[in-house]
Amino acid sequence: MSTHETSDKFVYHEPGLQHQFEDMGQQEESVSIGMWAFLAQEIMFFGGLFTAYLVFRSKYPMAFAAGSNHLNAFWGGLNTLVLIVSSLTMALTVYYAQKGNRNMQVILIMLTMFFGSVFLGVKAIEYTDKYNHGIVPVTGLNKVVKADTKSEHAEVKEKPCYEVSHGEEEEEYVNPRGEFQWKDCSLVKLAQDHNYLTSAEKIGYFSNGEIDADKFRDKVRIFFFLYFVMTGLHALHMIVGLGLMTWLLWTAWKKYYSADYYMPVEMSGLYWHFVDIVWIFLFPLLYLLGRHFMH
Amino acid sequence: MQTQDAITPGYAMRPKLNYLNNGTTLKSWLLTKDHKRIAIMYLITVSLFFMMGGLYAATIRLELLTPASDLLETGTYNKVFTQHGILMIFFFLIPSIPAVLGNFLIPIMIGAKDLALPRINLLSLYIYWLAGGMALWALMQGGVDTGWTFYTPYSTTFSNSYVMAVGLAIFINGFSSILTGLNFIVTIHTMRAPGMTWFRLPLFVWAHYAVSLVMVLGTPVIAITTLLLAIERISHVGIFDPSIGGDPILFQHLFWFYSHPAVYIMILPGMGVISELISSFSRKKIFGYEFVAFSSIAIAVFGFLVWGHHLFVSGQSMYAGMVFSFLTMVVAVPSAIKMFNWAATLYKGSISFDTPMLYGIGFMGLFLIGGLTGLFLGAIGLTVHLTDTYFVVAHFHYVMVGGQVIAYLGGIHYWWPKMTGKMYSEFWGKISAMLVFVGFNLTFFPQFLLGYQGMPRRYAAYPEEFQVLNIFSTAGASVLGIGLVMPVIYLGHSLIFGKDAGDNPWLLPGLEWRTTSPPPTENFAVMPVVTWEAYEYGEESGLDVEAAKRRLAVEAAT
Ligand SMILES: [Cu+2]
Repeated sequence: MSTHETSDKFVYHEPGLQHQFEDMGQQEESVSIGMWAFLAQEIMFFGGLFTAYLVFRSKYPMAFAAGSNHLNAFWGGLNTLVLIVSSLTMALTVYYAQKGNRNMQVILIMLTMFFGSVFLGVKAIEYTDKYNHGIVPVTGLNKVVKADTKSEHAEVKEKPCYEVSHGEEEEEYVNPRGEFQWKDCSLVKLAQDHNYLTSAEKIGYFSNGEIDADKFRDKVRIFFFLYFVMTGLHALHMIVGLGLMTWLLWTAWKKYYSADYYMPVEMSGLYWHFVDIVWIFLFPLLYLLGRHFMH
Repeated sequence: MQTQDAITPGYAMRPKLNYLNNGTTLKSWLLTKDHKRIAIMYLITVSLFFMMGGLYAATIRLELLTPASDLLETGTYNKVFTQHGILMIFFFLIPSIPAVLGNFLIPIMIGAKDLALPRINLLSLYIYWLAGGMALWALMQGGVDTGWTFYTPYSTTFSNSYVMAVGLAIFINGFSSILTGLNFIVTIHTMRAPGMTWFRLPLFVWAHYAVSLVMVLGTPVIAITTLLLAIERISHVGIFDPSIGGDPILFQHLFWFYSHPAVYIMILPGMGVISELISSFSRKKIFGYEFVAFSSIAIAVFGFLVWGHHLFVSGQSMYAGMVFSFLTMVVAVPSAIKMFNWAATLYKGSISFDTPMLYGIGFMGLFLIGGLTGLFLGAIGLTVHLTDTYFVVAHFHYVMVGGQVIAYLGGIHYWWPKMTGKMYSEFWGKISAMLVFVGFNLTFFPQFLLGYQGMPRRYAAYPEEFQVLNIFSTAGASVLGIGLVMPVIYLGHSLIFGKDAGDNPWLLPGLEWRTTSPPPTENFAVMPVVTWEAYEYGEESGLDVEAAKRRLAVEAAT
């Protein structure tokens, strides 16, 4: 206490120590508890979405399987790999920050940012694909293609939806108002034949005992809605993470961190790993579950 | 440890500047990191929202004076009660005690210079202002008419009001309360002064720890729910719309998963204040400290498991209903533990009826009624009759107003001398406390009877046989209104003309009474070391109260 009564100029302040703390240990403990509490609220935030997913998947498993099958497991798998590698580079960043190695820190942060950007790039490719195929669940956000007047007869030869084979929709993509489109309901037929349908599905896909393509489409649309909200919020967290990384890169370059003070690096790392873990759950739920119905 | 003078424990080191006059520019307020200044800015803002919500309440009561819907059109009436609910719940009750009293007192009570994350604290205030501004904008544009619960599919498909703007305002506001809760958790963990062990913490701090858990874990769920609601409203995807496969009950589950715990956000801090008041003004160590402390945590935990009691008649399965009904009874136990412990604390205490204590005693009576009628509503059979009647309205107003608002007023009166350094008029304080108590009961007790007779809530018109009780209720509301306006006047008056309160006007041992009034920016001239237990009124506390009392008696005589 007595030191504080002398002139402030001579009081030793550890780098980065905020005024409200007595010492560095107290500050580090505070920041760490704060970060974990923040991640706890993030879990609850995504938890609401996972609950919605759970409810609708158990109600309409076939619609979810159909939607899931349309997602490209290759891109999803690649992104999983990319994120796991980025977690490694992030963990190494923290390691080298603890060692006080500035150059390795800078290199690894740039690598982490690179992998993060690759992830977002792949996500953009996937979203564009949805846009081109008319499966963005919001009317007006899909590619608009006016009906070709010359081949108007093409619309006449409409088959029942359960005979539309995989990939056939693409050739005749017509979407004058940019609506969500879904023509293939072969899975419903399959499930009906094998008595798979849940009680919600028996009401939800049928009109007067016949498979109703529109009603099935609405359920697939719920899948894609959840897909976009979940991956979209995840991507938003990735973008925030990249912002954090940019700041980290700058401060690491300025030799802000040392073996004594590397809390911001460690905390950013925690956040980055958390965002990765969310994806580890999203990938199987969205891309993989339900594939066995078809393959 | 040497005994200090109980009247002016901080006097020897009285600093020239306190937190109020340390910097007088607008910038020094808007960019402050001082938890006390942030608390004062919260105090002003929540008071404004309380006033607006109160005006809506007055309009409702005026409309209900007569059976016909003659003052307002029914559509306008829907907007009025919706906006009353939204302003009062999200912008007044939830931030009221935590963001004002909690913010101001927690660091002082645990012997810290500030909250652990002062910039986050300021950020949470700005988020609150942003959300509040957005809500006000939406209200001026035409408002919202869905009820504060935003039930789907009305809110997503049919309502022609500003659902999305208000929903987003609530989404944003949620982050303010998450950050406040997060800050409290961190602060209570790491910023306690030497010797301030967990079981020496004032119960006010324990209550805030519990409420922070709910804020951090519950609020994100309402955030994602209102976000889904807003997206659904623009995109019409059908996640909540049954006509295209959505599930409106899912909305109710998600909504109440937060909003039931949120009623504990709106009562736990009040309980914390009452623990302080009851002990302080009976000058007796609180009875069963550990039980009161852990009952707060138990309420926070069990509060997360009972949301289904809002869905008894919404198509929830009967078995789920039975489980939720049972759990609702269980969650009443920790509240009852608190009530019994407060009552036992009063027993053989030397009780003084200062203004804050009047609120404290009032709380005990009103919360008792509010809590017990909650059991009526949690009982799966009886609730079928009472759902969506005025019985529900009366029940939650007994808890929210009779509980939280009364505790908030009690707390404001109790800590006013600490916050401002001035003492208000005790005479007018008592009058106002009485008016609030009488007016409140006159307003809401008739509503229990009305509800039991079957008057539904949320209608502008009602059958004539309900009019007598409604007139009582409106009359009570005007008394309540006068009682609530009076503190604004005499507290404001005390700021300029009030006599100096001194550091420790009630001669109490808590840490907040051992610094100067108003406290300096860093809270204590010398950082305290705690050697006494909580609520220690004897010599062990290190304050010589008896000598102080004798001296005050001599001063009064001469
Ligand atoms: Cu409830």
